[in-house]
Formats: sequence, structure tokens, C-alpha cells
Amino acid sequence: MDLGQVVVNWLLLGSLYAAIALGFSLVWGIMNIVNLAHGAFILVGAYVAFTLYDKLHVDPFVAVIFCMLTLFVIGWLVQFVALNRVIRAPLLVTLLFTFGLDLLVTDLLQVIFTSDRRTINTAYANVGLDIGTTHIALDRVLAAVVAILLTAALSAFLARTRAGNAILATGMDRDAARLMGINIRTTYALTFGLSAALAGGAGALLAELYPFEPSIGGAFTLRAFVIVVLGGLGTPWGVLAGGLVFGLAETVVPLIPNVGPGYDNAIAFALLVLVLIFRPNGLLGRQFYS
Amino acid sequence: MANERDTPDTEQAPRTGESRSWLWSLLIGLLILGAIATIPLLGDATALRTWTTIIMFVVLAQSWNYIGGFTGYSAFGNVVFFGLGAYTTGLVLLAGQPFWLGLLLGGIVAGVFAFLIGLPVLRLKGHYFAIATLGTAEAMREIFTVRDVGGGGGGLMSLPLAGLDTDTAFFFGFLALALLGLLITVWLTRSRFGYALVAIRESEQAAEALGIPTFRYKVAAYVLSAIPTALAGGLYGYWSVGFDPPTVFNVGISVELVLLTFLGGAGTILGPILGAIAFELVSYQLQISNISIHNTLLGLSITLVILFLPQGVLRLVQEFTRGSSMPGAVVVPLARDAELSKGRQRYKAFTEGMRRVRRFIAANGI
Repeated sequence: MDLGQVVVNWLLLGSLYAAIALGFSLVWGIMNIVNLAHGAFILVGAYVAFTLYDKLHVDPFVAVIFCMLTLFVIGWLVQFVALNRVIRAPLLVTLLFTFGLDLLVTDLLQVIFTSDRRTINTAYANVGLDIGTTHIALDRVLAAVVAILLTAALSAFLARTRAGNAILATGMDRDAARLMGINIRTTYALTFGLSAALAGGAGALLAELYPFEPSIGGAFTLRAFVIVVLGGLGTPWGVLAGGLVFGLAETVVPLIPNVGPGYDNAIAFALLVLVLIFRPNGLLGRQFYS
Repeated sequence: MANERDTPDTEQAPRTGESRSWLWSLLIGLLILGAIATIPLLGDATALRTWTTIIMFVVLAQSWNYIGGFTGYSAFGNVVFFGLGAYTTGLVLLAGQPFWLGLLLGGIVAGVFAFLIGLPVLRLKGHYFAIATLGTAEAMREIFTVRDVGGGGGGLMSLPLAGLDTDTAFFFGFLALALLGLLITVWLTRSRFGYALVAIRESEQAAEALGIPTFRYKVAAYVLSAIPTALAGGLYGYWSVGFDPPTVFNVGISVELVLLTFLGGAGTILGPILGAIAFELVSYQLQISNISIHNTLLGLSITLVILFLPQGVLRLVQEFTRGSSMPGAVVVPLARDAELSKGRQRYKAFTEGMRRVRRFIAANGI
């Protein structure tokens, strides 16, 4: 297989994966919640983008902003109304709760949109740069660029704004943050809303690139988990690193003779176990989110 | 005399409670299973099939209880053993061998798999362990689909029909497994192995310090949870005559059985049984009522129950009847209570119990 094409695929796919896992990493690092409904949020973003394109012919890359806003509101509400109650409960409770949420949202999507595969076909879907035998698709490059921008934006937001600092402080030590006058409920709602917004943005990006249907949410959540574990909790750039490593595995493994395609989940799981055994902190893991 | 002053009923072993509550639980469990055993006598084929499924979930919930409830390691991927049992039994049947051999091999394969997977995965804790087991289930589903293990395209497997009066035979097969599960659970609450598992759940470091070989016991618990699950899988496979990876490696089943045990009360004897029966009945009612959003309602009910009863219904009952919910507290019956009449005392205990329950529910959350 053409090496250039493999490298291009890897870089673009890896960056996109970072977008998928950003929100997941945030909520896990700050609130210690593994959000099993993350995949469902991504799908909601995808469907919102799809509906906007279908009814109002809004370009998906422009729709990213709108999807993020919608999901932000949804995430805020979920956190404020429900998740707040289980945040100090044992692990199993939060996992089951987010699973119930996932079931709820996926089924609602299925009822509203049916299980038909959807995708967005824009006019520039096939436009790309051809260097020799390597085809660099424009939409994939745009998606990768947006993903990297989101990572940088998140990093800057956390480090430089008051609200971002409040989120980091809450993640480090909730009670100390409370003593400093930070409203924990609002901060957590902000964090979860932000995480959902990032998921929504990723969904909007994906809507244009791949066909989607309600049942693929679980695969996203699993991948987000593996990517966050790979890259390490503690920084948005870790997610990017994790995404790139994961993208590498997914691009390269099917090329091994006798393996072939279709082993995506098996690869994810194997990677997960390997990382947890040999480098449990991930590539760029840190103790406190920053 | 020294032995008149018994030690107060302190909360040192919260799950096993007083010294003979296990006997009550065992009797109630046997009663429930016995009552269910009379279902075939009703002659209603639909009810038989429904209850067979319910009993199957009882078995699965009980098995999960060993690793999740007693040991405190929430495995979200136990369905992988179910699928392994189903496929092994199926392959054995297709090769023309007897059914019981298939079941036996299914159990062995699942047990060995649990051992091998348990070695790396049981070193993880909390979230990591949960998602790692989830990943196992997903990965196996994929492998079985891609490798087309069943031979029918995408891993589909079709089996010959069973010979006997099928539905009743399978009903009693599952019921036997449920009985076995009940007995094993009761044994766990009374044996050193079981106590060690509870110790691991409460504080793994302390357990290590006490000399319990935690890793070995964890793996043993995991293997123990795998075998009945695989047997149930084998039975299910033969009963449904055909299945495919998305059905028997369905992660939804896995999470459902965690939920069932949890609702009933993880780590208890009756918890899995009650939780499975209650939840499956509700789920069934929702399904047959032809509401298209039944999955949504299911998800909604999961979230609501988790919000308000994060420790299961049984814990609520325990809370009501227990003397005090604070660990290490001493229960001293107030002297003036003895002056009230018996009826008044019982009424007071009742209201006190209700108050505790309400406080308990309200305290769950922030």
C-alpha cells in the first residue's frame, strides 16, 4: 500500500479521533465520571448537523457551532438536573446512570430518525489534492484542522480564562475550590456542558465524513475511552497524542497480511489492555488536569 | 454473667447482617424458586417462555453477583462468557455430540477464558476494569462475526431442534441453574472464600495486609462468575435454535444483568433474584404494550431508579429493619420504650424505620 496515503490517512484520522475524545477526557479528568452516553451525544450532534443540512442547507462545518451550542445546553441540563445527584456515589452508580442515559438518547434518536444510515453529501465531498498517488481529501483536512483548533481552544480556555481556571481548580480539589468561592454546581454544569458541546462538534464533523445510524454510539464511547487512556488524563494535548496513536493502530493493523479489515473493536481493546499494563498513565498523563 | 451482655448489633458485616439472616434468605429464595417451578402447570406457553427468560436473567445476575457484588469489581463484559458458552455448545452440537457434553465444554472454555483474561484485566481497578471487560465483550463479538464462527455468514449459527418437550425442559434447566446459583451464593456468605471476597471489596489493601491472596481470589471469583453464565449461554443457544454474535455477545445484556443485581441489592443472596424478576417483568410489560419507545422508557426507568435507590431495594428493606444504619453504632433500647405497650412499641419502630428509609433515600447524592 502506498506509504504516503497511509501517512495521510493516519494523520487525518488521528486528529479527528482527538475531537471525539476531547469531551470525554474533560469530564473524566475533572469530574471523574466516565460518561457512557458520550457516543450518544456525538450522534445527537451528527443528527442535528444532518437536519440542518437537510432542511436549511447549512454547511456542516458551519453547523459545528450550532451543534456545539445545542449540545452545551443539553449537557448543562443533564448535569444540573440529574448527574449532580450521583456525582459522589460509587463508580458503578455513575456508570449505570450514564448507560441509562445512553439507552434513552439512542432510542429517542432511533424513534425520531429511524435506523436508516444517514450521511451528508456536500458538493465538495470529493474535492482533494492529489500528490502522485496520494489523495488528500479536502473535507478530511478541514475536519482535522477543526479538531486541532478545538483542542487548542480547550487548552487555552482552561488555562487563561477565569471560568476555565475554576474548572481546573474544581478538578484538583473540590472542597478547596468551594472554599475559594467557586460555585461547584455551576462549574460542574459548565464542564459537562462543554464536554457535550465538544462531542456535538465532533458529531457534526463526522456527519459529513462517514455514514451514521443510532446504533454506532457505543463504538464511539469505547474509542474515546481507549484514546483517553492512551494519551493520558490531564491535558487536551494528551487526547491529540492518544488520537494519533490510535489512528496509527487502526490504519496500520489492517495492512498486516492475514488480518484484513473489521477488527476495529478488537484492536481498541487490545491496545487498551496493553497500555494499562505497560504504561498506565498514558503518553502525556498528569496528576491534575491542566 | 459475662455472656448475658452480648455485643451490640453493630454494622461490622453489613451485607451478611445478623447471624441467621442467611437462613431466612435461603428459605425465601427456595420458596420463590419453588413458586416459579409451578409455572409449567398453568399450561400457558407464553408465560412459560417469559418466565424461562426471567429465570435465565436470574442465573446471569447471580453469577455477576460473585464478581461484582461480593468482590466489588464491576465487570461490564460478562456477556462474553454467555456468548462463549452458546457458541461452544453450538459447535459441539453441530459436530453431532450430545448436548450435555456441549454444556460441559462451554463451561470449561468460559472458565479458561475467564482465567486468561482475568490475569491482565483484574490488575485494573474501577473504571478501567469495567471498560476493559466491556472491551472484551465487544472485541469477541467482532472476532466471532469476522471469523464467521457459526458458519452462517456473519457468525450466524443454526442448530437442530431439541428432542424433548422443548420449552418445559429448558425451563427446568434454567431453574436448576438458578437453584445452583442460590446455593453457591449462600455458601459464599458462609465460607472463608466469600468473606475474603467481601474483604477485597471493602478494602483491598487491608485484605492484602491480612494475608488474603487477593489476586488469586479475584481470579477465582471471576472464573466462578463465568461458568454458570456460560452454561446459561449454552442452554439459551440450544433453546433459540439459532443465534448470531450481536445477540449472544450483546453488551446490553451485560449491562442489564449488572443493573438487575444492582437494583435488587449487590452482594446479597436475594438481591439478584428479586431484581431480575422485578425488572424483567416490568421490561416485558413495556415490550408487549407495543409502545415504540419502550427502550426509552427502560432507559428512563434505569436513570430514575439509579438516582433514588443507588443501593438497591434490598438495602432499603435492610435499612428499615435494622437497628441503626451507622457503622459501629451501639443500639441501646431506650428505657422508657419498655413502658409503652407492645403495639405502641411496634408502631414506633415502624415510624422510625420509615424515617430512616426516607433519610436514606434523601442522603444518596450530594
